[in-house]
Amino acid sequence: MKRTMSRSIIALILAVAFLLGLGFLCYKYVCDSPMWASQTFNAYISSGKGLACAGTIYDRNGTVLAKSENGERVYNEDLSVRLATLHSVGDYSYNIATALQTTHRAELAGHNRIFGYGLPSSLGFSGDMTLTVDSVVCAKVYDAFGGRNGACFVYNYKTGEVLCMVSTPSYDPQNVPEEVPEGAYLNNAISSTYAPGSIFKIITTVAAIEYLPDWENITLNCDGEEDFGGDDVTCLEHHGEMDIYEAFARSCNIAFADLAAQVGAENMQKTAEKLGITESFNICSVNTAKGVYDVKNATLNELAWSGIGQHTDMTNPAQMAILCGAVASEGSAKLPTYIEGVSPKGNAELMSKETADIMAEIMRYTVRDYYGDSMFEGLTVGAKTGTAEVGEGKAPNGWIVGYSEDEDCPLAFAVVVEEGDYGFYSAGPIARIAMTECAKSLRGE
Amino acid sequence: MQFLADLAIVGLRVLLSIYAVYIIFECFASMRRQKREEKPLIMLSSSTLRRKIPVLCWENLIGRSKGSDIVIEDPTVSRNHCVLLRRKEGWFVSDLDSKSGTLVNGKEISGRHRVGVGDEIRIGCTTLTVHRGEDFDEEVRHSWFFSRVSRKPSVPSPLLLMMVNIFHLFMAVEICISQNEFNLEAFQVLGAVVLFSWVLFAFSRGVFARSNFELETLAVFLTGTGVMLLVSQDIRDAWIQIIAAFIGAALYMCILMFIKNPDRIVNWRLAVMIGAAALLVINLVFGTVEFGAANRIYIAGVSLQPSELVKIAYIFVGASALDHLQTKRNFIEFLVFSAVCVGALAIMGDFGTALIFFATFIVISITRSGDYKTVILALVGAALASLLVIYFKPYIAERFATWGHALEDSYDTGYQQSGVLTYIASGGLFGTGVGSGVLQYYGASETDLVFGIMAEEMGLIIALSVAVAICALTFSTRELSSRSRSTFYSISACCAASMMLIQTALNVFGCTDLLPLTGVTLPFISAGGSSMVSCFGLLAFIKAADERTYTSTLKKR
Repeated sequence: MKRTMSRSIIALILAVAFLLGLGFLCYKYVCDSPMWASQTFNAYISSGKGLACAGTIYDRNGTVLAKSENGERVYNEDLSVRLATLHSVGDYSYNIATALQTTHRAELAGHNRIFGYGLPSSLGFSGDMTLTVDSVVCAKVYDAFGGRNGACFVYNYKTGEVLCMVSTPSYDPQNVPEEVPEGAYLNNAISSTYAPGSIFKIITTVAAIEYLPDWENITLNCDGEEDFGGDDVTCLEHHGEMDIYEAFARSCNIAFADLAAQVGAENMQKTAEKLGITESFNICSVNTAKGVYDVKNATLNELAWSGIGQHTDMTNPAQMAILCGAVASEGSAKLPTYIEGVSPKGNAELMSKETADIMAEIMRYTVRDYYGDSMFEGLTVGAKTGTAEVGEGKAPNGWIVGYSEDEDCPLAFAVVVEEGDYGFYSAGPIARIAMTECAKSLRGE
Repeated sequence: MQFLADLAIVGLRVLLSIYAVYIIFECFASMRRQKREEKPLIMLSSSTLRRKIPVLCWENLIGRSKGSDIVIEDPTVSRNHCVLLRRKEGWFVSDLDSKSGTLVNGKEISGRHRVGVGDEIRIGCTTLTVHRGEDFDEEVRHSWFFSRVSRKPSVPSPLLLMMVNIFHLFMAVEICISQNEFNLEAFQVLGAVVLFSWVLFAFSRGVFARSNFELETLAVFLTGTGVMLLVSQDIRDAWIQIIAAFIGAALYMCILMFIKNPDRIVNWRLAVMIGAAALLVINLVFGTVEFGAANRIYIAGVSLQPSELVKIAYIFVGASALDHLQTKRNFIEFLVFSAVCVGALAIMGDFGTALIFFATFIVISITRSGDYKTVILALVGAALASLLVIYFKPYIAERFATWGHALEDSYDTGYQQSGVLTYIASGGLFGTGVGSGVLQYYGASETDLVFGIMAEEMGLIIALSVAVAICALTFSTRELSSRSRSTFYSISACCAASMMLIQTALNVFGCTDLLPLTGVTLPFISAGGSSMVSCFGLLAFIKAADERTYTSTLKKR
């Protein structure tokens, strides 16, 4: 009997293993049940209950962006606000992957870990949620796009709060058109990538600072065109001789093609990866689209073009804003969040403090001495514009990315306008509105 | 008004969860109580060893080895010298081919020899004198399960059973609430469940005069819960389930009578083994493919799953193959039988059941022989066999391809598991109400996904309690079987409980995507007549291991 008992411990081992398994199941329930409950096929939210009695969505000022009334989902009364916040609020469908009504539908519909959806509607406490965006700013920015496609992303790199996230084209969630404009489901600010053009010179500059020991004393020469590996790289002007500061501010193509060639493919690749261009950042359980930088098998000519944001280069607006945030905050920026109460997923540590400070000086110099501080009234901004050739007979994409270094307005931004031509003239005015309005919002003006 | 009504409904669900936990707790708590006092059955004394030896078990191995129940530190005693065992007629001693032999009152014995108080058993140079158990005046070490049992009297069996009935009544009420109308069928089925529970009680108490009914109460609780869950899903299945419960209970009584005499069991081993193998062969020949496995046969319109009945035979054969205590004989025979069972099931495509048999095989092997070499050999063999299967039939591997990431494939191969996770989350801790769930409309949900249905409609607390109850059965069974009347009962009970546990693990973790979904039933809860019958069959082995099961009849005399 004693032997049987000592051997039957195997049964107890099984039982203990089983209990551990149940424990793990409970752990998964605690962690993941809102995610399980928000599956698109879940009958509790796709029919009957669902958005019809879901909670209210507010913006940072307490403006109602969406609420449920008498079994109907009602959005903000202002059309521009509805269009501007579509990609952060969402519509009835699950088509917009970054929208609160998609990612947090279970929570909005009153799901909680204790009662699930088990509470009758009279007791059901619907989950109200608040976005960090300012709907007024978003609406003004949306209008500033004037029907052009693109994206604008502005966030506080110290707290992570996204103040403005606009993507165009958009549509009215209150009256969903039968034919939704092509690309309207995509939140371009987070989920799209664009050829960067000259804004990529930020990455090339960082690479030069880190890999060329004598970078401060390098003299670059521009004759309007130069041969790299048997083919020409062209510039818009004859810039003549200049140093890196000057080359960056005047956005000289030849100078940066030359720098990329000097840094070399391997180190350019390393820098782009370290700066997160090829990475995805997690923003409120949504991942940003990964950019592209690939010069592993590039020719010298391709490497030269890649240094000025052409070749196969692609970047994402939110990602560029994070990069600018890192430049402004000693190399490490808070990751963005656009839902109040959802804390940012840590910091993006992209470069050393020394590099960041030099980069900030160069970008600041560009605005102060070339673009003019009048562009961003009341703010101390460092920025870089870009005009990216996209081919296919289309006009270039216009970009501007940057940051403000004001203590009370620590904002990083990225604006892209599809077929906008010169970034300074297309994206620039939108960034001006976005930044000055965001500053007003933060300063409570 | 609506608010108050809703509050009452939610309150009912919360209370029902607490009530379920209480019932399950009380089933086990009462099992602990009403236990014969922990005193030695008899006592042995030895003048040479100068110590009193309490005899606690019905079967005791006496020898020099440390694993013996009664260890005699005497070099002239064999490692496994003899067996001292109690039967209905009295106490016997039986030699195990020891070197020096066993003598009773100076005469060398062969076969079983009866001993009484005052008799002297001589093994090697040691003489043991038999005394009454009452003569032992020292403290006996308790098993944890029975130690510190409170003095509070246990809940009387009829009262506990009535509490279970009330639980099922509330389930019927919840069905009406969910459907917003009075559901007569729910109450008809409830009536059948109540009838079933009291018929079982009447037989146990009245006919067999057994003092304990907690194990059966637990089975009735689980069975009734499964049946009530079926009411809104498929009323026909609910009735089949109840009928199967009656048949299962009848089988339960029959098995208990059949294995009443532990000495007779070994004679039936071969017959049971051949019968079981024949059942599987019939299944292989006449089986029809359903849900990807050919594990059913139809007799006169009634569908049967022979593999479920073979489970009972398997435990019987596995535990009965011992002629004497813990000797390794007949192991090859059992090995071959196991290979036949697992092989037949694999050919049928019923990999879930094959896995249950294989895991149970491991448990039986270890419990029986403590021989880890054989177990490792079997594991290696099984791994090779699985590789061969996957090599020749790669589509089988595809079935397990979604394992671990079902939600990524929620519209195709991960459909069932992601449904379970989603609706478990939707049900929360207290559920959405019996009969109101969505998961019940999923294919085969009444068997494979029943854990999910329970969690969705009755809440995670009740679903987990049920799983924990089946797990607790393993703990309590092992402790109960430490005082079994025979090693056969101990081994068969531990293995039967393990088998149910393995099955529960495959079901619960399979549908929640922690293990691959193999489509096995949740004991007592899942719909399925054969499964229900087999569960009661396995329960008989657990009941037999309880020393009290066969003793109360003696007390009456």
